[in-house]
Amino acid sequence: MSSSLSEQTKTPAAAGVFTLVITGAPYSSQAPQTALQFAHAVLASGKRIDRVFLYGDGVHLSSSLSTPPSDELNLSEAWASFLTENNIPGVACIASALRRGLVNEAEMQRYELTASNLRAPFEIAGLGEWVDSAASGSRVLYFHKGG
Amino acid sequence: MSTLIIIDQPPYGSWDGREALDMAFSLAAFDQPVSLLFCGAGVNWLRKGQDAAKVQQKSIERNLSAAPIFGVEALLADSDACGRYGLAETDLLEHATITDFGPELTDRFDHVAFAG
Repeated sequence: MSSSLSEQTKTPAAAGVFTLVITGAPYSSQAPQTALQFAHAVLASGKRIDRVFLYGDGVHLSSSLSTPPSDELNLSEAWASFLTENNIPGVACIASALRRGLVNEAEMQRYELTASNLRAPFEIAGLGEWVDSAASGSRVLYFHKGG
Repeated sequence: MSTLIIIDQPPYGSWDGREALDMAFSLAAFDQPVSLLFCGAGVNWLRKGQDAAKVQQKSIERNLSAAPIFGVEALLADSDACGRYGLAETDLLEHATITDFGPELTDRFDHVAFAG
């Protein structure tokens, strides 16, 4: 085993399991893009991602309505495809999402709103999902908006 | 698994700190040990006598005062930052403790996260 690999086994990650928390919004921060590249690298190295959790401004990534110009990467679509193809749960925090106008059908009906806009396969759930990952010994990485 | 959540931004300017506080309360609600550390301009969160009505926000003073009741183990204020903002322990909320922010502190936790 190379020295870099033996260093990695000393991390708190249980059998190389990562949880990604994205708090930076697409198009106003690089966070979703950096996280996506990191996620590809995790799977390419044979490790696992148990969950991607969108928090704060990061919930904008779960919008089904974002429509960037055709020569720009559609980050919401790219993330949704990645999650679907790799069967990884994508969860938007309910409090962060509702505050910012990201709703699924159930919340649309509950609050009697005129539309819903959550992109599949993202789901809306509470912070308990993040606690569950953190408490499971998974290595939790945060992708913030930066300076 | 113990967690330290660090808030380094001033209150009321963005929702990041408020949402970090929700993370701490959530851990506590699930019986996971959690403490909060305020550093940089973030120490202003711990000032006594906040009034946020004029910016149409709820004062976070009540939330923070309730933190120990909800199971947050400690409200820590970085001593350097307190010095910079002229805050003595008597200026801070009742349960806040001034401490040195360094590896000796962060090593006591399994999981350290900054507010967004």
